Amino acid sequence: MKKFLTNRDFILFSIIMIGLVAVGFANPLFVTPSSISDVLTDTSILIILALSQMIVILIRAIDLSVASNLALSGMLISLLSTVHPELPVYYFIALSCVIGTVLGVLNGVSIAILKVPFIVTTLGTLSIYRGLIYFVSDGKQVYSNEFSEDFLSLIHYKFLSLSFLFWLAVAVFIIIYILLNHTRFGRNLYSLGGNPDAAKYIGINENKYIILAYSISGFFAGLCGYLWVARYSVASTQIAIGFELTVISACVVGGISVMGGVGTVLGCVLGALLIGLIRNALPAVDISQFWQLAISGAIILIAIIINTKTEQRKEKTIMVEN
Amino acid sequence: MSMIPEKPPFKLLDILYKKEFILFVVLVSILIMNSNISPYFLDLYNLIDSTFLFSEKAIIALTMTFVIIARQIDLSVASIIAVSSCVLGYTTSLGYDTWLVISLTLLSGAICGAFNGAIITKFAIPSIIVTIGTMSLFRGLAYSFLEDSYYNKFPKLVSNLGGGYLFGYIPYAFLTFIILAFIFAFILHKTSVGKKIYSIGNNPDAAQYTGIAVDKYTFVLFTLNGLFSALAAIFLSGRLSSVRPNIAFGWELEIITMVVLGGVYIYGGSGSILGVVISIFILGMLSFGLGLLNVPGVGIIIFTGLLLILSIGFPSFIQTLRRKNE
Amino acid sequence: MKLELKSISKNFHGVKALQNVDFQLKENSIHALLGENGAGKSTLVKILCGVYQPDGGSIHLNNQQQTIFNPAISLSLGISAIHQESVMFDELTVTENIFIGNHLTKSNGLIDWALMENKTKQLLEELEANIEPNEKIKDLSIAQRHIVQISRSLIHDADIVIMDEPTASLSQKEINELYTIIRNLKKQNKSIIFISHKLDEVMEVCDDFTVLRDGELIKSDVISNTDKDQLITHMAGREVNQIFPKNNVTIENEIFQVSNFYKKTQFKNINFNLRKKEILGFYGLVGSGRTEIMKSIFGITKPDEGEIHFKDQKITITKPSDAINQGIVYLSEERQQLGMTGLMSVKDNINMAIMDRNSQFYIMDTLKEIKNASAMQEKLNIKVSYWSQLTQSLSGGNQQKTVIAKWLSTKPEVLILDEPTKGIDVRSKSAVHEFMGELVGEGMSIIMVSSELPEILGMCDRVVVMYKGLIKDILDVKDASSEQIVKLASGES
Repeated sequence: MKKFLTNRDFILFSIIMIGLVAVGFANPLFVTPSSISDVLTDTSILIILALSQMIVILIRAIDLSVASNLALSGMLISLLSTVHPELPVYYFIALSCVIGTVLGVLNGVSIAILKVPFIVTTLGTLSIYRGLIYFVSDGKQVYSNEFSEDFLSLIHYKFLSLSFLFWLAVAVFIIIYILLNHTRFGRNLYSLGGNPDAAKYIGINENKYIILAYSISGFFAGLCGYLWVARYSVASTQIAIGFELTVISACVVGGISVMGGVGTVLGCVLGALLIGLIRNALPAVDISQFWQLAISGAIILIAIIINTKTEQRKEKTIMVEN
Repeated sequence: MSMIPEKPPFKLLDILYKKEFILFVVLVSILIMNSNISPYFLDLYNLIDSTFLFSEKAIIALTMTFVIIARQIDLSVASIIAVSSCVLGYTTSLGYDTWLVISLTLLSGAICGAFNGAIITKFAIPSIIVTIGTMSLFRGLAYSFLEDSYYNKFPKLVSNLGGGYLFGYIPYAFLTFIILAFIFAFILHKTSVGKKIYSIGNNPDAAQYTGIAVDKYTFVLFTLNGLFSALAAIFLSGRLSSVRPNIAFGWELEIITMVVLGGVYIYGGSGSILGVVISIFILGMLSFGLGLLNVPGVGIIIFTGLLLILSIGFPSFIQTLRRKNE
Repeated sequence: MKLELKSISKNFHGVKALQNVDFQLKENSIHALLGENGAGKSTLVKILCGVYQPDGGSIHLNNQQQTIFNPAISLSLGISAIHQESVMFDELTVTENIFIGNHLTKSNGLIDWALMENKTKQLLEELEANIEPNEKIKDLSIAQRHIVQISRSLIHDADIVIMDEPTASLSQKEINELYTIIRNLKKQNKSIIFISHKLDEVMEVCDDFTVLRDGELIKSDVISNTDKDQLITHMAGREVNQIFPKNNVTIENEIFQVSNFYKKTQFKNINFNLRKKEILGFYGLVGSGRTEIMKSIFGITKPDEGEIHFKDQKITITKPSDAINQGIVYLSEERQQLGMTGLMSVKDNINMAIMDRNSQFYIMDTLKEIKNASAMQEKLNIKVSYWSQLTQSLSGGNQQKTVIAKWLSTKPEVLILDEPTKGIDVRSKSAVHEFMGELVGEGMSIIMVSSELPEILGMCDRVVVMYKGLIKDILDVKDASSEQIVKLASGES
């Protein structure tokens, strides 16, 4: 029983529930079904990106380029849609994913083959990809009236009064859950992150996994490129700036350890939900948007510290006291 | 006494392989290229003025070098600039005496740095994660404080320091950078402090077992990084004459690029101030030259990112090929 | 013949690790692979495990020539190894560790957890281990971890199991259980390559033996044709008395006392003293708490309770520099990770603990550095070509000498040595012992933590025997017997 109560995921869940109740007191409108549905929709992109970032963090790396990747993919398909609005929306979604994957593969190759450390690589591509957005768009935006009806409407379909976006996040959750818990690939990710030398010794090809992990991260970044543009009906050079930090925070709050090899899919989602809750709750309780950044930063730090305290490797017990 | 030589016999060829030499060659090539591209390049006044664009970052790059050699990283420096600039503007608006204004500004930077250092050492959390958090926290504080507005009144001294010249020729910011570069080079390469930093960066555990106060050094390095970020903020605010909460946005990447491009290994333990200084000039002259060609700022950013990745990737790729052939 | 190695050679940057070595492993046998550290045993094992490729020679498995490209191929050929260091994943369960890299899958490609757990349960029952499949490795004891490693080789249906120092940290009871498991493996038609430096164990358990020295095959035969002394001679290349060089030194009064040291879950009731010019041994199984005590004394960790008295004065040590300034130094067991800074020069390593003494107003005095380094190099006979040479380029023995030099530079009075001869070749080992004798002759006092009983018996004046964080007894070495000490260290009274 104690194990259940101290289980990290349960604690996160409790915090979210308590938070909801607290905000509900201050602003009852916040806890209505339609409002909650909005929060879930708003957090869906974060959930998807956090889940894919988790894969990279599991192998002791980080992908700082996801937001730039997302923005670039989104911009490219938006530009294409202004020239070819007649193409079906699925075409754009697929294309966005492909672009994102290619950008991700470039990261992976740089880290695995060129041996450029992940910090340097993803800091570099963060800038390069963001810069390319200006390049291709000439600094101009693509406005909502330039998109086809088709392009923008998919997001807004509702099923069981929850948006398409939310169900997509659920689907991604299920896919990644199966990937990480029920496939060799997933389990090998955990071992590669937990003890890289031992994993390589057993024959797990580190380079292959690095490239695959960053490709997956890139794929979902590309997907979210479409989702973001469709949701906010605009593509610009400024979208998602700094969002990579939010994504990484969601993972860290969710218990994914940057030392690698540790973290649950459920925890990751809960971490994203908590961050999403905060982002939406602040305006609901009349806290100015200018406080958003500071509060997010504080939450991350607190979460990390709590994380570390609970994670602390207990020294092996040598002596048993009677 | 045994006569063991200090170094292997000196071969001229060895210099060719040294990072600093290669960087120097790159710098010279850029200078030559730039002078061919534009007649405005070799104009002395233009060259001097070009230093304004990188001097503030360069100052921070010096302390960042120490941080990275010690196997840490600090992503919050730009956000500390934001906080310090706010303190600068606010204390000025309160009418405080110039020196009090400057002291409080510097203090605010040091406190932010100390905050980083405390969390990293007390809770043993990797600096990349802590500074990702404080990056948001500090910048967020600046936003919460200033919201939509800005400061544009600063003490006269500050404006002079930021945009002025010593003897009418040498920009104060640039001069400060050069003097600090010498001091830091001396500390790193000639003192026990520098040796300890290398030791910590190479093997922090062994350093601790040798009696080196690893936590104390880490804390001090982050505090210094914060202090110098505040110093840079003073020059920057003085130069811009206007401070918004998004000041210096993205600067942490550029500063880290300056350091890593300069041959400092991102995982710590090696690197020199000379390399970083040459790399600062490379990046500075590159921006200046591309700017003269009317390449938009964005192009420079892309170029810098590529340069960073290739500067590490290319040599390592060659090495891997060489090893495969053995 | 199950496995045959013909004329295997392997070079590393001009150093001949193995030269034309032949090795034959019979079916159903337990074959001892013997030799001092640096003799080539681990290179041979790594070649069999696919980590290295031989430069010359051939490998024949069941009379068929094979090339073992990588560890995965080695496993598929039926070779598996149990190491001292952990090839284990602390955060994963027993089940996963056993099946790591080879998870069983259902027809749809997904992992078959149920099947894996069943098999694991079965195996663990067969081995009579008291372990649950869902336990995480980090929660297991060392003996239990060994059993998991053995299970892993059984899962892979390995015919050849390589065991590298399998009984290093086990109690006598656990050792006997392990012998039973090994004999059972033999009955199951497996062949075992057994690496151990405990010759009694080798004589008792093994059928055949092969001795390597300096990368060459010295002798291969059946165990019944030899005895301990002959084995020692083969391994060392000369008549070696297992009596260690020790100066006759008059031990003086107590200078160092540790009282009531206690640290939750680590050690308790630790009381002992050290006399001037004495060598005090700390013997116990790996994991008995000796290193933890030393780390607390040296200031790396803090004890919950306890006092230290040095030269009749109570002293407080909260960090290593406190201890060093008092003249108490600690040579860690983990030379590579904690003792030396591999990527810095030999000169810097030797001077690393006295940087403050070598500098004036923080400015380094290079002449002083070189002077000290030269003095140490001569005293310890460190083989180095340039002061700027990186420490990691030295041989194991010379690296250890560098670390010792670092500590001697501080002019200590008390030296705490933790497994000082672990993993170095026999010549350097003997040099270190001789040197220890010199040091006490010069007035130093030494605490030596060691898991090698011969070393303890040969070098120490008294020995503190520990078991699970408690001191079992403190004995005068000349009055104690090996059996007595081993019994105490295993928890029997």
